[in-house]
Amino acid sequence: MADSSAPKPSSSVKLVLLGEAAVGKSSLVLRFVNNDFQENKEPTIGAAFLTQKCNLPTRTIKFEIWDTAGQERFASLAPMYYRNAQAALVVYDLTKPTSLIKAKHWVAELQRQASPGIVIALVGNKLDLTEDGTGSGGDAEDAGGEDSGDARKISTEEAKTYAEEEGLLFFETSAKTGFNVTEVFTAIANAIPETSLKTARGPGASHAAARTEEQRVNLNGPRDPNAKEGCAC
Amino acid sequence: MGSSGVLADSTTTEVADLSSANPYSLHRTAHARRSEYVRPHRIRIKVGTWNVAACPGTDKDLARWFVDGEGLDPALGSSKPSDDGGPVEHELHNGSPRDASPIELADGGKIGLYVLGLQEVNVLTAPSQYMTWIYAADDSTMGKWKAALEAAIPPDYQLVVAEQLAGLLLLAYASPEIAPTISNVSTISVGTGALGYLGNKGAVCTRIVLGEVTQLLFVNSHLASGVEDYYLERRINQAQQIVNQARFEPIVISGVSEEEKTKIGDEDFAFWFGDLNFRLDRLPGDDIRRLLMLHTRGEYDLSKRELRRENSLEGEPIVVRCSSDSSDEVMDRDPDRKPQNKPDDKAVENQAADDDSVNLPDPDDFPQDPQEDPASLQATLSSLLPHDQLRRLIKERKVFHEGWREGPITFLPTYKYDVGTVALFDSSEKRRPPSWCDRILYRTRKDMERYMTKVKEEEEARKKDEEMKARGIEEAADDDILFSYDPENDSEEHPTPKVAEYDEYNEAEDGGDDQSPDQADHDTIHLDLYTSHQRITSSDHKPVSSIFTLDYDAVVPELKSKVHAEVARALDRAENEGRPGITIVADHHPRGAAWRSGSDAPAHVDFGEAVFLRKYTSTLTLANTSGVPAKLSFIEKPMTNELGDGDAAEIQWLTTCFVHSEAADDDTESVDLGKEVTLEPGETLNAVLDAQITDIVHARMLNEGQPTLEEVLVLRVTDGRDHFITVRASWAPTCIGRSVDELIRVPEGGIRAFARSLIEAKARAGAIPYDLPIHRPAPKELFRLTEAIETTTQRVIADAQMLEDCTVPSDPGWPFDEAACKSTDVDTRTSHIISLLDALDQDQALPSAFAPEIPALHRLEALAQTLVLFLRGLTDGIVPTALWNRIDQAVPSIPSLANPASLPADEATLDNDRTTVLDILQSAPHHNICFVFLTTTLARVVAELAPLSKADLATLRGNEASLLAGTAAAARGGGPGAAIGGVLSGVGRRSLGFVRKAGSGGTPVVAAWAALEKRRARERRVSEVFGGLVCRGQSAGGTSGERRAGEARRRAVMELFLRQKLE
Ligand SMILES: Nc1nc2c(ncn2[C@@H]2O[C@H](COP(=O)(O)OP(=O)(O)O)[C@@H](O)[C@H]2O)c(=O)[nH]1
Ligand SMILES: [Mg+2]
Repeated sequence: MADSSAPKPSSSVKLVLLGEAAVGKSSLVLRFVNNDFQENKEPTIGAAFLTQKCNLPTRTIKFEIWDTAGQERFASLAPMYYRNAQAALVVYDLTKPTSLIKAKHWVAELQRQASPGIVIALVGNKLDLTEDGTGSGGDAEDAGGEDSGDARKISTEEAKTYAEEEGLLFFETSAKTGFNVTEVFTAIANAIPETSLKTARGPGASHAAARTEEQRVNLNGPRDPNAKEGCAC
Repeated sequence: MGSSGVLADSTTTEVADLSSANPYSLHRTAHARRSEYVRPHRIRIKVGTWNVAACPGTDKDLARWFVDGEGLDPALGSSKPSDDGGPVEHELHNGSPRDASPIELADGGKIGLYVLGLQEVNVLTAPSQYMTWIYAADDSTMGKWKAALEAAIPPDYQLVVAEQLAGLLLLAYASPEIAPTISNVSTISVGTGALGYLGNKGAVCTRIVLGEVTQLLFVNSHLASGVEDYYLERRINQAQQIVNQARFEPIVISGVSEEEKTKIGDEDFAFWFGDLNFRLDRLPGDDIRRLLMLHTRGEYDLSKRELRRENSLEGEPIVVRCSSDSSDEVMDRDPDRKPQNKPDDKAVENQAADDDSVNLPDPDDFPQDPQEDPASLQATLSSLLPHDQLRRLIKERKVFHEGWREGPITFLPTYKYDVGTVALFDSSEKRRPPSWCDRILYRTRKDMERYMTKVKEEEEARKKDEEMKARGIEEAADDDILFSYDPENDSEEHPTPKVAEYDEYNEAEDGGDDQSPDQADHDTIHLDLYTSHQRITSSDHKPVSSIFTLDYDAVVPELKSKVHAEVARALDRAENEGRPGITIVADHHPRGAAWRSGSDAPAHVDFGEAVFLRKYTSTLTLANTSGVPAKLSFIEKPMTNELGDGDAAEIQWLTTCFVHSEAADDDTESVDLGKEVTLEPGETLNAVLDAQITDIVHARMLNEGQPTLEEVLVLRVTDGRDHFITVRASWAPTCIGRSVDELIRVPEGGIRAFARSLIEAKARAGAIPYDLPIHRPAPKELFRLTEAIETTTQRVIADAQMLEDCTVPSDPGWPFDEAACKSTDVDTRTSHIISLLDALDQDQALPSAFAPEIPALHRLEALAQTLVLFLRGLTDGIVPTALWNRIDQAVPSIPSLANPASLPADEATLDNDRTTVLDILQSAPHHNICFVFLTTTLARVVAELAPLSKADLATLRGNEASLLAGTAAAARGGGPGAAIGGVLSGVGRRSLGFVRKAGSGGTPVVAAWAALEKRRARERRVSEVFGGLVCRGQSAGGTSGERRAGEARRRAVMELFLRQKLE
């Protein structure tokens, strides 16, 4: 059978979203996948799963997105969702200080428990609620000053410094306006090492240990030109 | 909120347990959130009681006093329990949302509920009369009173209760606003009269639920009469009996029933009224009469004339101003209490004014505090009231002590008057002492609870006291004692501590904390009016009425349904949380956008256009988004493969399997994980859906437009919910599965475009109608295929001669016998066939269907199999059943078919037989053309594949004579050519052996005969392949022997035409 699409290498990337309830995790995903936003989103129950492709110049990444529920009662489920994940989006709400604390907890947990080499992005959401959050461009409204009427509770500086210390990607976004949302995912896609992609999806998702093994073996190894598993249509 | 009866019961016990999913959990969980849909409401209730003493004409008076509020005599009693003129606005008012349909208190306060209790509607003094009443089933009394009340109240009021027990009658009517909110009306009669059960004394009790939340209780009772202590005891016992016996149906809200019946005491608001028959103790009747007569005849006789004129009474009423300060007579004594309904008071005043007080003195003319005026009527009443048995017994906690309250009595005793007089006390021989027989008591849930608490506290204090006494601790030595209690003074059995001597005004000081509601709490009931109607003279009792304003809780239906919906959703979710659940993403969706099964909408897979034989694959990603492992399986749908009965036949075109998600992404071998798979939380796997239409019968049906390619797959999550996946494809019309008569009507451009244009025109699929013009003598598909097969055969031969690795398969059936096609695997050939069909259906040249590098051998096999498929697909074949039957019938005259085992040897017979067959086929010219065309081509292909060289032919001719010499069978020959043909055509299996035995020709002869034999073998085998495809007919019927004979004849017809003259 002749395949129609161009044979650009394509691979699946398991990505998990973590963060306090109501910071906008589901909204970010909705914006990324459907380019949509809902003012009053129903809270996520358990977890949600979506896929979306991300076209890079040299390859296509198919994100398998696991959007977790932020409520405490679901916290125990999270490890099941970030297991085998190659990327994580840890989201906090720029207008809610506790949400960054919670985000830091998640980062620590991921660094401790998740697959080594997981790409973590720290995302401060609801930028539209802040003075500088025009959504249309970062540089507008420079004159506005920082304080009065600004709902921002977490400075860019603080979060950025933390992200740099921990080696995380860092973005401030607005799921509402769409500002910076695709950028987060593209950055993650670019940050995933190609080697990890090639063997990312081993012979069985349930064989996590075996896969990790494989990953080490193939580290820095040349890409097998005949390998078909990288190609999807 | 103070009063939330049904609710308060269960406030503490009901915890919203989301995990338990019993059928009541929705109700229970919603109930736990009731504060969200229960709102404070306000209602005014008018209660009236009257002992009509079976007097005629009492019903005529009903409207006047009960509804119109007439018959009040401001001179002989006050209507105002409190009238300090305080503002109506009450704290509750601020809290009660105006939009939640509060009961409007417009126009002087509309009455939401009228409740009337009558006594002695029938004279029943002897059991025999009671029996008469029972057996006469006399409802004329009820009818009379209903009519009287209905005539008085606004016409849109609705009957709530109408109950009669002998002389007792209870009626209730609700305003149109209130009526729909009333439910659970349960009425019970308790007979306590003569013989202990007959109904001349007793009670009629009704329980109703207001706004799904608030329970109201109304008791209309007639207790034993009589002044003596014996009768007092009976009254007490009867009241207790009523409490003990009254049981009401379990409350049903939203279809959910409480388990228990309710009883007196379960309610939020209770009203107990009637002729309770309590008398004035320790006062000689004549003294009372004399005391009261002072007033009824008295010195403030300012309105005498008017009263007389109107009522022409003997008595001379006295106008008494009842002061606002008379509230110290209120048992519920709260100095800070504000009246709630000033408009009401005004209304009462106005009513009184309208009535007959035009010339009544301005109240301001009276002494400001008649209470302090020992000569005032109120002072007189106050001096009598301490002797009232009921009040005493309440204090002594002997009857109506469990939180019951009564408004201040500011009216004359209601009993006993001479009928027809405003205020002439019983002038008969008996000269019964006046007394307040007719009363209206009330109580809130709080009142009762407060009483209970108090009793408990006292009990505890008493116990503590006893303990301390037992330990010998001196009472005086310990200041910690909560309660000053002197057991010496408490000779009573009941735990009444320090009951004050009920002396005048004493209760004002210490009785207050006994009964008054906690000041911190809002009192949910307000007595707006408590009065007798002195000027009603038709009975020897005066009627008594009260107006209450209640602040109560009621369900707001809209809010409730909203909460219910939310709870239902939450329960649903909660239930799903603990259950396995998956999310389906159809990420290989042909339309591109990822589809997600987040909602309840079914997942959707659209394969788009599906062509015959091509396999379409769609992959669903299944993600376990729950917290527990999920076991998945597709529900097997019963698939019938019986193709016999047309439309009904369901042909499987869709298959499913589970594979690891990685495998579906690439082209590596995907391992079928079996029918049932388990998916861990946080993991994904793929469900692969394959759609493929391989069945010709199915293709025919699809061409006809039946059925459509639509399925609903059910993906079952064990212990979770089923996911429905709708799958569809649209059929690409094809030449497979058509008739010759359809195909010859297909114009340039191919059948697919043509069939589509027809579908568009008719808006449905179907066969190509036979009334359309014919475009060609035979199907273009047949031309194309045979032409390509011929040229490709030549290529194959050429290749075989030139290329080392190319040899023509020796199987005589090749390339038409599928089993003999071995140059490629089935899948490759199938894909070639699909390409060829695509080309045919789109009217494209067949060679274009092949990639250039594909060897001729592969092409020929594909072409030959496509031809076979095409012929098999023809709905009526090339020789349709009707024509075949005619050939069959002509068999005796066709020697070639008569003995199908071997064709006749002589060319003339063969020619003749061919002509006979073609003559029959002539009646269907297009079929005839097809037949000739096909057989000629096949004959040529066979000749190509089994060539006879010139040398071979020559050898065969040269040896003809010697062959003939030894061949008996070939004895009858014609000319030399015919002879050769005859010999050659006569060669059978044994002929080579014969030739060898004959030994006459040597090696060339053997080779020639071998080649001839190969030719014959191919002719035979190819004829076998095509016989059934070309010639139709019911070969299914008959014995197997007949069937075989039929098959042999079909093959023989083909063989007849495949055998060409040797040249
Ligand atoms: N103003 C604003 N509101 C947002 C943004 N993202 C999400 N929200 C709102 O925040 C609430 C919680 O969002 P949701 O996506 O459910 O958060 P989650 O619990 O982290 O998945 C919803 O009412 C969203 O409409 C944003 O970028 N700006
Ligand atoms: Mg969410």
